[in-house]
Amino acid sequence: MNCLQGRYGKMNIGLDQLVCDLENIVGKNYVYGDLFERINYADTLLPYDVEEEFLPDVVIQPGNAQEVAKILMYATEHNIPVTTYGSGTDLIFPTKPKHQGITMSTERMNFLNIDEEHQYLECGPGIKTGKVIREIGKLGYFLPIQTQAGSSMGGAVSINTIGHLADNIFGRPVHNVLGLEVVLPTGEVIETGSKCLRRSAGWDLGRVFIGSEGMLGVITKIRMILVPMPETVDAVGFFKTNEEVGHVMTLMYQKKLPLPMDGEFVGKKACKVGCENYGLNFPEGAMAVIKAMGRTKEEATRNAQEVVDLFKSEGATEAFVIKDQEVAENVWAVRENVMRWGKEKGKKGGRAIEVNPILPRMAEAITSLEHITEARTDLIAETEAYLYGHVGSGSLHCYLTYPHGWSDEKMKRFIDDIWNVEKELQLKYGGIGGDWGWFPYRLPLYRETYGDTSYEIIKKIKNLFDPNNILNRGNLEGEV
Amino acid sequence: MNEEALTENIENQLIETLNACKKCHLCNLFCPLVDTRVTQGSFGINRAIYYGFKWSEFSESLRDLVYSCTTCGKCEVMCTKVSMALPIRELVEKAREYLLIEKMKGPMPGQTAVLKNLYVRGNPWGNPSHERTKWATGLNIPFVSKDNKTDVLYFVGCTSSYDPLGQKIAKYLSKILKNANINFGILENECCDGHEARRMGENALGEYLAETNTNMFREAGISYIITGDPHSYYTFIKEYPTDSNGLKVQHYTQFLNDILDQGKLEFSTKVNKKVTYHDPCYLGRHSGVFEEPRRLIERIPGITFKEIENNKKLSDCCGMGGGRMWMEPPEKLTSSQKIAERRVQQALDTGAEILLTACPFCNITLSDAVKSLGKTDSIEVMDITALVSMAI
Repeated sequence: MNCLQGRYGKMNIGLDQLVCDLENIVGKNYVYGDLFERINYADTLLPYDVEEEFLPDVVIQPGNAQEVAKILMYATEHNIPVTTYGSGTDLIFPTKPKHQGITMSTERMNFLNIDEEHQYLECGPGIKTGKVIREIGKLGYFLPIQTQAGSSMGGAVSINTIGHLADNIFGRPVHNVLGLEVVLPTGEVIETGSKCLRRSAGWDLGRVFIGSEGMLGVITKIRMILVPMPETVDAVGFFKTNEEVGHVMTLMYQKKLPLPMDGEFVGKKACKVGCENYGLNFPEGAMAVIKAMGRTKEEATRNAQEVVDLFKSEGATEAFVIKDQEVAENVWAVRENVMRWGKEKGKKGGRAIEVNPILPRMAEAITSLEHITEARTDLIAETEAYLYGHVGSGSLHCYLTYPHGWSDEKMKRFIDDIWNVEKELQLKYGGIGGDWGWFPYRLPLYRETYGDTSYEIIKKIKNLFDPNNILNRGNLEGEV
Repeated sequence: MNEEALTENIENQLIETLNACKKCHLCNLFCPLVDTRVTQGSFGINRAIYYGFKWSEFSESLRDLVYSCTTCGKCEVMCTKVSMALPIRELVEKAREYLLIEKMKGPMPGQTAVLKNLYVRGNPWGNPSHERTKWATGLNIPFVSKDNKTDVLYFVGCTSSYDPLGQKIAKYLSKILKNANINFGILENECCDGHEARRMGENALGEYLAETNTNMFREAGISYIITGDPHSYYTFIKEYPTDSNGLKVQHYTQFLNDILDQGKLEFSTKVNKKVTYHDPCYLGRHSGVFEEPRRLIERIPGITFKEIENNKKLSDCCGMGGGRMWMEPPEKLTSSQKIAERRVQQALDTGAEILLTACPFCNITLSDAVKSLGKTDSIEVMDITALVSMAI
């Protein structure tokens, strides 16, 4: 028998039998063994090639919770690792199958029901956030998850992310999800929460699954509150230094200003490249751009003006509420072009790190990032740093662009260097990582921040739900 | 550069360019091919090319993915806006050429006969060349030649010459031109413009067909061409040899606006219809003709025009571009019918009675999708020429 070799020991089944058995569960059309299918479900956003040893043996697309349950029961019985895949847009790589086996895509479970009477939506994990945003937007609702439009709802909820939004306004999925349907690795299907808008004050098992990065179960249905669509107005401020942006955004909180839905920052160097790229004539310096909101346009405009007044009082060289659509598009385009900043300057590509400083140290953290490539002996010294971030929600990024010609080996060392520097900065400034799923590579940070006792508790929880460790095997162990 | 070096060069170029992909997946978000699988879309295709070429895995499944692309180019809009601005469409076409010429893996099974027909008969169906102008029988349209010059050549294109739905476009446009007293003619020996051959990776055949047409244009002293087929329009302005650049080429939506401005064409009848418009990829996104069709539609008296959900630069594809007209995608890839049905659904959402387009391919595909959805009572697909001819 052609047994499948996993890093955790042999799976007790041959590949042909595995494919045949899975086809019996979901049908022939939803099991894929072709090389290019397996590559597509394994090639993550890491800036080097996927290796053959990390390709799944097979990709499967169940259509409902019952099929998921059968697959997981089967995988548990045969000790086959199962990696859950929503959209593959995770900025790190929880979807990279560390131990081959089955990659289970949730893409077919993409239903959406909008229940205005109860004021919630119910959706499958595979539906894209962009699609939900569009559909509920038609009815005047706002999705408090603003991740990349191609990301999946299941992924966002599993990671408990909201993209660029400020936590203090809408909260995170853990606050906004009313209930979940989850299939446990042993095949049981459970429901959490209720249909009431009032969430449980005490135990709510749903919270265990939200943010546990798909390691405890597979979410097959999400029930989430509907939020009325706010009106928004953009405003922008330009500052002589990057540090000033950190300072002014800190003050925005401390002075109890109406918080914007989105508060973005583009560092001086990045702003210059972006403006050159678009032929824009903005003042030189760092840019802070916000999306103020309100129940009415007037209220949003008033709120935007308050932030503009703060910008001006804190030394902005120019600040204004954006009234012209074209200006708004150009301002946001400078921010959106993050991945091109390096390219425009002859670099091949780049990789971002995330730092989440405590509020009073925001400006200081920005200054640290500004000098990140200086006095180093690792590969980061060979990169060029471009600063940006969702400063309104306390997330700073530094986009480190690397030159053409680096081999995959060198790129792997570079990624290690990046993680090390991110860990140092997070430990220094008090953050833990708020934008994307992170456990595989941030395990060292987790252990240093919370200690081994905390890590052991997580491992015990994992073992309780998934005794054979079939789900996303390797992620909790910090394999990358 | 010798042939071997050239081959290596194409391989390296594809690998190097696709190595810059950030793997953000945003191209897939816009790709009409994506149904419920990441592999089906632009991202899946670009990764398949990258790894296929890098690992020398030139399998049939690579071919199927590479040839499944509609070349609609919507992915490039997103990639340019927020990512690495990769020339995805060009890479797909280069990969097709490589698979066809170097690896003999392309084209798709149904396309081989089409390429042969293009070479032998000058049209994809292999219909007799002498039947090309049959649609014009009794319409009294002159054949342009060096001895019979006209102000304008109407380049009909294969689909409007042979396909019954396409022929309607040719007839309507001829009626309109006659109504405006335009001195126009057609070519008796018109040959395929070569666009589809290029899309299938047979560039040499595309060049051969272009040369055949260019020689005819030159011999007949033609300096002004109008066409009803966006694929012809695109290939004339972007792919024909530079020495033919002295030609003025217009899509009919541009030409009809011009003659309306000049007062040569007038609308005399109200057409009280609610309409929407589907931008053909090769007219809109690839050639930048967005406003003229809209201007033409809105000039027709009585018309109520409503934009469809994805329009202009973000228009969705009808599903038949990039050589897909001549192939059936394998079962696990998205069918053209499904793509077209999605587009028709968007048109239905506008409440329009008529879904207008300005391309014979789109016209055929979307008409079929209306039928397969069972919506013939709700909406009708028409070329703009049909609407214009109602108004004159």
